[in-house]
Amino acid sequence: MKPVKFLLGLVLGIIIFIIPFNQFQPSPLASVKEIPVQLDGRKKPLDTVARETVIQIHGKAKYQTATGEKLDYLQTYLSLWFNSRDWNQEPLILFNYRPLKAQLGLDLERKYFTFAELMQSSLSSTILAAKEKQAEDIELTRDEREALTIADRLALTVATVSSDRLPLVPHPNDIKGKWLEINDTEDYYSLSAAETIKQDYLELKQTYRDRPEASANLEKIASQLRTDLANLSPQVYPPKATVQKEVRFYRLHFFANAWMIYGLGFIGMLAVLWFKSFDFYWSVVGIFSAGLIIHASGFMQRMQIAGRPPVTNMYESVIWVSFGIVAIALLFELIYQAKYYLLAAAPLSILCLILADSLPAVLDPTITPLVPVLRDNFWLSVHVPTITLSYASFALAYGLGHIILGHYLFAPQATAKIRSLSKWNYGVLQAGVLLLTTGIILGGIWAHFSWGRFWGWDPKETWALIALMCYVVPLHGRLVGWLADFGMAITSVVAFNAVLMAWYGVNFVLGIGLHSYGFADGGSEIIVASFVALDLLLVLLTAAKYKGWFTPSDKAEVRRQEIIPFIKNS
Amino acid sequence: MFNPIVRFIGSIKLAVPLLSTIIAILIWATFYESQVGSTTVQQEVYKSPWFGALMFMLAVNLGISALSRYPWRGARKVGFALTHFGLIVIIAGSAGVIHLGMEGMLLIRTDSGAGDRLRVQGDLLEIINSAGEVEQGSVFIKQDGSVSPKYVGGLELEAYTENAVQEIKIAEGGTVKNPGIRLKLASDRMGQAIERTLAMKPDVYSKVGLGPAVLELVQADSEQELNRLLHPQTSKGHPWGELEIATASKKRTVDVKANKSKTLRLGELKIAITGFYPDFRLDRNQQPISASEDFNNPVITLTVTSPKGTENWFVFGKADFPPVHTLISGESIDNLTLAYQVQPPEETDYFKVITTEDEQLYYAAKSSTQFKSGTLTSGQTIIPGWADFKITLEEYLPHAQIQRKIIPGINEQEGVPALLVKTQSGQETWLPWGQASVIEEGDRKIYASFSPKLFPIPFGIKLEDFIVDRNEGSESVAMWTSKIRIEDSQNNNIEQRKVWMNHPTWYRGWKIAQASWNPGDLQQSTLQVKREPVWITALTWIGSALVILGIAVMFYAPALTRKLRQQSATKELAIATEENTADKLPTKELTRIP
Repeated sequence: MKPVKFLLGLVLGIIIFIIPFNQFQPSPLASVKEIPVQLDGRKKPLDTVARETVIQIHGKAKYQTATGEKLDYLQTYLSLWFNSRDWNQEPLILFNYRPLKAQLGLDLERKYFTFAELMQSSLSSTILAAKEKQAEDIELTRDEREALTIADRLALTVATVSSDRLPLVPHPNDIKGKWLEINDTEDYYSLSAAETIKQDYLELKQTYRDRPEASANLEKIASQLRTDLANLSPQVYPPKATVQKEVRFYRLHFFANAWMIYGLGFIGMLAVLWFKSFDFYWSVVGIFSAGLIIHASGFMQRMQIAGRPPVTNMYESVIWVSFGIVAIALLFELIYQAKYYLLAAAPLSILCLILADSLPAVLDPTITPLVPVLRDNFWLSVHVPTITLSYASFALAYGLGHIILGHYLFAPQATAKIRSLSKWNYGVLQAGVLLLTTGIILGGIWAHFSWGRFWGWDPKETWALIALMCYVVPLHGRLVGWLADFGMAITSVVAFNAVLMAWYGVNFVLGIGLHSYGFADGGSEIIVASFVALDLLLVLLTAAKYKGWFTPSDKAEVRRQEIIPFIKNS
Repeated sequence: MFNPIVRFIGSIKLAVPLLSTIIAILIWATFYESQVGSTTVQQEVYKSPWFGALMFMLAVNLGISALSRYPWRGARKVGFALTHFGLIVIIAGSAGVIHLGMEGMLLIRTDSGAGDRLRVQGDLLEIINSAGEVEQGSVFIKQDGSVSPKYVGGLELEAYTENAVQEIKIAEGGTVKNPGIRLKLASDRMGQAIERTLAMKPDVYSKVGLGPAVLELVQADSEQELNRLLHPQTSKGHPWGELEIATASKKRTVDVKANKSKTLRLGELKIAITGFYPDFRLDRNQQPISASEDFNNPVITLTVTSPKGTENWFVFGKADFPPVHTLISGESIDNLTLAYQVQPPEETDYFKVITTEDEQLYYAAKSSTQFKSGTLTSGQTIIPGWADFKITLEEYLPHAQIQRKIIPGINEQEGVPALLVKTQSGQETWLPWGQASVIEEGDRKIYASFSPKLFPIPFGIKLEDFIVDRNEGSESVAMWTSKIRIEDSQNNNIEQRKVWMNHPTWYRGWKIAQASWNPGDLQQSTLQVKREPVWITALTWIGSALVILGIAVMFYAPALTRKLRQQSATKELAIATEENTADKLPTKELTRIP
């Protein structure tokens, strides 16, 4: 190890995270963002409420108004909250599903519609029909499910525009007590105290409506409102630092920064491989380490905010797996200095993080309270991370498998390199098998306590076992010589589909079983399926070339003979 | 030592195809499960003998392969043996968990006693044949409604329905006197004719509603009663009844309907009738509501104001319920009595057939326009004045008898589950779920009961309280907890325990865990009660530990031991070199010794 070069990379990565420096300065509307709200079973800053609301209605955090003005989530939310625009005519509501748009006679090419447009369409009758079916427990069609999603967006819009119902007033003494809206302050507190709060609130509203851009004014009044609210019940009102931590967590974009740093590391590693003179291997390792530290600290912060291990929904497991991929790769890299571990890890980890960042509708990043079955359980908090870490190992093997297949496809003469790659890949597969076995067994122990049985052939259990066997069987085949390096590379790629099924497919494709709290409405099956199909095609192509299926047998023989002397000579 | 067959059974050449087959079956089973449901797949695949055989074969393969490599020299072989034996232990343990555990659900309520009968998965068919022999058999209903097994206790199980209904037939043939009538109603204008049969006993069959009109069979026990029925008095004209208000000095009676929402005065009192509830209840928010339009529990609510104070009153139509009054403000009001009387409204249109002790028949027919009455004989036709309906007495049944028959219902919402069985002679009978039935086959009687499978546990569990914690400020549930009391009469022991999600309690080898709850009824809780022999739990845990340890040893111990040996070898040789400096061995060579 070369410490100086390593530190160089580490520092470079961290500098990338820190720049731009202004993100550490207080934002002009900090006090507005830091007003706590009690919503969805926890206290969160208004900043989070604003982001979640705008993302749920609009699908993304930025909004362009009818007049072309660009608003961020907070500006959009404040404008909704204080009703400073004609929200009937603003194209805010996301409506993506084309068949339903066609059925309602809406413009197929448009993604965003105004409230008025949707209310005037025949959408309401579709929604009504869907709700009736839902009440009678009849399975909904895709159209109806989409209509209900739109209905939720419409309802949230109504609930946000000009609404005074946000629970901003703390409970007088119970830390878990129900908060009230501003107008009901006198239910908990004296009339004079209520009057002060209402005055602050009206002033905030008025100031925003008069001059939304005057952030200094807004800031002053919001700060006053926050102070007055805090004084009502100082024991219950969350301390400023807690709220700031969450605001900061979102502002610093740990996960987005992490993938960009991994991206830089990836390019660096390619340079190290291609240019012998570019002797910065340890700096690249340093960059990856910096990325991993940032990734991990983001994870830790999310854990502190949620008050639990963040491994209970798809979003959190995707973030954790992407962390695991790089962490395992880095560990192996430190042992073998193979270069290829990080090279294989980076694209997969980046892909996971980008998906997690850009599909809030599928991978919901909202921090919500846990369902009872997942609460306070030691075995759960070790079972899930272990099993998902095994998925990360197999993802890494999947990446390495592609690199090996790529060599077979484009550089079959590089047998020595293929040999080393295969050895490294085998090490990752071993780690994966150990982790997955441990994870499955820990799951059994959790099931023993939660459901009363160690093993019950629940689909998620079964698929985890199938995935394990999909790796174990080829590993055994290798022992008797049925599979060699090429076979193991194919295994790394093909068997990963079983992992995908266990991880994602059981929830999204089968949609049954006891693990239903991880379920969500996917709709992404086609994309995933076509990706898998393409990948398998690539495997087939490589296999065809390796086995010489498309070359006449004598030619293949000739080529093999050409290769063998080459090997002997080299 | 091993002959070739045994060697093959313990070989990878068997293991790989066997495991591949199991993978294929499991993949298929999960997709099949998403179509037919878990219980069916559990029954048809995971708990089936053939799947068990496959698992057994795997265990044998694992065992022989591990044994055939004895003695296990080196870390790799030790790890290999640990893993493979561990897997056998896990397979045995898991099979035990699935097949030998006893598990059931126990629904208990805070307002009822302790429960000690577990509801076990599946149903039970119990048969007592004419010779008095009892036979029992588990019945399993698949999601598609098919039944297994095919035969229990000589009966063939043919079909199953979720919604069987009872068909009632009233016919002559009873042994005791019980008047019955068969009426035909015909309307030319509507082009329809329907028949209705009524019987005096049981009560429910003496009356039937036909849209706005009612057909009724009435027994007149005296001349007076007969007279009242044939010549009813016209209604008193107080549809919502009358309220009698009395103070120390004054008294007044008012019609409720006419004075609703008006303020009445009596001396210095102001009395406002604020509400009328024919079927009074308090809803969840303690607000008065009427559960129906029927006069089951008529109540009026009033606000009474005196110069000194205001009170709210609830006055009950039922004579034995005294009024309830609460002070709203000021001082309470003395010396006020309120009494409320109300008669249920009469049916507007009816056709009554009246029988007397001496089996004489009369009729009384009322429509919105007219009233008719007179004697009635078989075959006589009456025109009651409901549109152009004609009512004919088709038949008089002096010994009416109710014949019940279970048939599959047409409406999917109604009815109870039932099982169709066929006797050896071919007679088919539907057995309703949860009731004992009699199958009559000639003069032989077979008693059969199709019922939930229950399992008695040696102690009772009483729900003392059910606590639902919600996430702050929202309705979503954070946790639910059952406070239970275990009542063990065998050991004279009573204990209080708490069970919540992921935190079960154990009592005498039984695990009691929170399973589910009913959001609409917080007085009940469903517990999962389970017993699993300790050795099975031990097997799974030991197997688990062996497998994890085994894999770790197999994969990582060889490299570690190599490294350790290398280090110690280097050290020893280094010492040796120091001792024999004369030899001057180049150290570079030494480190290469494996």
